[in-house]
This record gives sequence, C-alpha cells and structure tokens, in this order.
Amino acid sequence: MIHFRNVSKFYPTRNARAYIFKDINFKLPMTRSIGVLGPNGAGKSTLVRMIGGADTPSRGNIDSDLRISWPLGLQGGLQGSMSGRENVRFVARINGIRNTSSIECEVAKFADIGRYYDEPIRTYSSGMKSRVAFGLSLAFDFDVLLIDEVTSVGDATFRKKSQQALRRIRETTHVIMVSHEMRQLQEFCEAGIVIKDKTFVFHNCIQSAIQDYQETYVKL
Amino acid sequence: MLEKGIESAVAAYHLDFLARSTCMSNFVSQRTPRQVMQDTIFALLTRELKVRFGSKKLGYFWALAEPILQSSIIAIIFTLLGRSSLSGVPVALFILMGILPFRGFTKASIQLATAIKANKALFAYRQVSPIDPFITRLLIESATYLVVYSLLMVALFWIGFQIIPEKPLELILINLFMLSMASGYGLLLSNLVLFYDDTPRIISLIQQPLFFISGIFFVITMIPAQYWHYLTWNPLLHFTELSRDAMFSSYKTPVGDWLYLLTITIFLWGSGLSFYWINRHRFLAS
Repeated sequence: MIHFRNVSKFYPTRNARAYIFKDINFKLPMTRSIGVLGPNGAGKSTLVRMIGGADTPSRGNIDSDLRISWPLGLQGGLQGSMSGRENVRFVARINGIRNTSSIECEVAKFADIGRYYDEPIRTYSSGMKSRVAFGLSLAFDFDVLLIDEVTSVGDATFRKKSQQALRRIRETTHVIMVSHEMRQLQEFCEAGIVIKDKTFVFHNCIQSAIQDYQETYVKL
Repeated sequence: MLEKGIESAVAAYHLDFLARSTCMSNFVSQRTPRQVMQDTIFALLTRELKVRFGSKKLGYFWALAEPILQSSIIAIIFTLLGRSSLSGVPVALFILMGILPFRGFTKASIQLATAIKANKALFAYRQVSPIDPFITRLLIESATYLVVYSLLMVALFWIGFQIIPEKPLELILINLFMLSMASGYGLLLSNLVLFYDDTPRIISLIQQPLFFISGIFFVITMIPAQYWHYLTWNPLLHFTELSRDAMFSSYKTPVGDWLYLLTITIFLWGSGLSFYWINRHRFLAS
C-alpha cells in the first residue's frame, strides 16, 4: 500500500504556480502491477519520481512500508563520470551492502555489455544504459519496481530478456510502469492509473484504464 | 503485573517482526536512518576519493606542493629584497603560517559550495539526501588539510626549523575554527550555486584580492594603527594573525579576535542552514 496524504505538486512559473497534482488523498493498493497512463506532460514521470523518493511533493507526503525501487528511467540514477561497475558498487553500498563483488557480477551478466562495463557511463548508448540500470534494479529484491519507459529503448534481445525477468519476479515484485505502448501495459499490468484533472483515477483493470485514457485524451 | 506481561509480549512480538523482516529481505535490509546515512556517506567517500585523486596521478602531490611552492616563491622575493626574517622568524616559515589557513579556507569553501550540485544525479536514490555529499566533502577537505598541515610541519622540523608551537592548543583551535567557518560559508554558497551556475567563478574572482589583504606576507603591526580598521573586517586576517600568535613566541597580535570569528561562524552557519532548509526541495529537483 502506498499512501498519498494531501499530495500537491506544483512548479513556480512567472505568473502563478502551475499545479500538476492537487490534493491527492489515496491509498494505492500494491497487490498487483499498475500501469500509468497520461499524455506527455501530465505528470507521469513526476508521479513515479515522487513515489520513488527522487522528488518530493510540494505539499503533503507519500509513505509506504514497502521496499520501493528508485525510478528506473532513461536518464536518472546512473552517473556519467563513473563506470557501470562503479555505479553498481555505489548503489549496493547505499543499500548497506559492504561486499559488493557478487552483485557486480550479477549485473554484468544481465547487462552483457562486455568491456563497456568498466567504461564511464557517458560513453554508453541509451540501450546500454538501460541494460545496466535494469540489471541493477533486479539485483535487489524490491516489493515495487518503478519503471519509466526503460524497456522500450533496448534491442530485441534486451527486450526479451527484461520481459522474461519481469515475468520471473512477478510473484514477489509488482511494477508501476509508465509506457505509451498499450500492448506492453496489457502484458505486465493488471491495474491502471489515468492522470487527469490534476489527480489520478485508479482502475481495477488495465483494460478499463486504457479505455478511459483513450476516451479522455485520444481524439483524432 | 498484567501490564508488564502485555508489555513484554508486545516487545517480543516486535523483536520477532524485526528479525523476520531482516531475514526475509536478501539485500535491502531494514536500517535505521543513521545507518542509511553512514552507508551513504561511506559510498560517497570512496567515490569522491577515486574521482579526486585517482584520475590525476599527482593529485596528492599537488596538495602538498602547492603551498610549499607558493610560500617559497614569496620567501625568495623577500630574500631578494634583503629581508630574511620577519619579527625574528625565518621568512618562509612566517609566510607558510599565513598561507596554510588562507588556502585551506578558500579551497574548502569552493569545494563545499559545489558539493551538492556536483552530485545531483545521485539524488535519484532515496537514500542520498543533499546534505550527504556536503558532509562527505567536509570530511575529505578537513582530512586533507590536517594531513598537509602536519606533514609540512614534520618536514620543516626535519630540515632544521624551530617549529615547536608556542601555544599548541590555540593553534589546533584556530585551524578547527577555520574549517568550521569555511563549511558554514560553503553551505551558504551552495544555495547561490543552486541558482547561478557561475557562482564558483565569481567567488574565486573575489577571493583573489583577499590574498593581498589577509596578512599572508605582512603582519598588522607593520601597518600604522590608524589604518587597521581598513583590514580588520576581514575574518581571514584574524586567522593568519591568530595562527602566528599561537605559533611564534616573538609575535603578539594586537587585533586577532576570537569573538569576532565566533560571531561570523555562527552567522554563516545559521543563514546557511536556514537557506538550505528553504531550498531543500530545489536541491532535489533535477
């Protein structure tokens, strides 16, 4: 369960505060995987970042007794000047692991990027970055995995591998996934959230969430 | 009696719960906030040391060589001008006692001011909060300063300088004072860095002229007393004055003021912490 208490998020603009979320009070059940739907700029990434603790609400708070991953996204998390291995070591250490060699091997095996593992992250392609980021998050046993369009950049092998991995951990780990690919959401998520009117609407079934999203936003 | 029984049962249940929750999780174990902070600072420390000293092979060398070279150049100039001692102290040693705290202050404050911004990417992890990289750099800067300081003293003693400090406790105290003021100043500046990327450049521009008025190659007694008030507002002058006072028995500072330094340190820390608290969300946001 992720508990939203009076959560508001705004960014100051020249004239007034631009609210993205306003006064959300909600208990998000985490018994199933959840897909997050909304158009660009609606606040999908912000929502996921706030759940992951990478960003804080402007007002109110979000708390949970679950172990929640950091938001697994295209840019955040990995630091460019450090190598893949050093990033892995760093994350292992901030999670309280002193002996990091086994976790380094595990991620190396999943990422499968050869000698690039010891090169700085800034030399990586976006696909290689997401291989390391995804492998890293699988190395810990989180209850909730936050995925922000990370699986959509890889090549066929990586996609297959990550989808297999997600299927494998399904029993113990649920995902909160941001994606614009409906097929992917249908495959991995059972429930859905649609962001509208500065709050979100929870749907028990991903199919009805997709329908709601299309009725609200997709107009041709 | 009954109450006690219930209490102990609750405690036992709580312990059991704690034990189970730590066993169940393979990796992500339940830690107290203090442990999380310790682990984070340890991780940042190893990372920062590697970046700082690992990439440049001569990193440690320059930390030592820079103050030595600087003070020898000034010492050579003074010798050429025909002065080999200032208030009965060899010129090189005299200048070194001014250069060390001055450089310590300026270097530490710039490093601390940029600490938070430089580690921004890492705030994606909830364990890392903005104050952690600040504390990490504070530890590194203090350790580097103390090591460089004591190595230089030992080396000078070894080549034959008389450098037993006259008041050793005061010398230690003034250097700790310098580090704590530098960190308060650095915390205040890191708020500025948040809004203006050019802040470090402007700060070092301002700090350049301070080199000439902070009493590095003069002491206040060389200047007529009616002009002192043009210089004594500068806290760095108090550091050089007081550290010479503590070091040399032949020099007594007429202006060095501990209370003034304490006031400024408290002011800098107070405003630094307040601005940090006001901006704490902005530090996180990317």
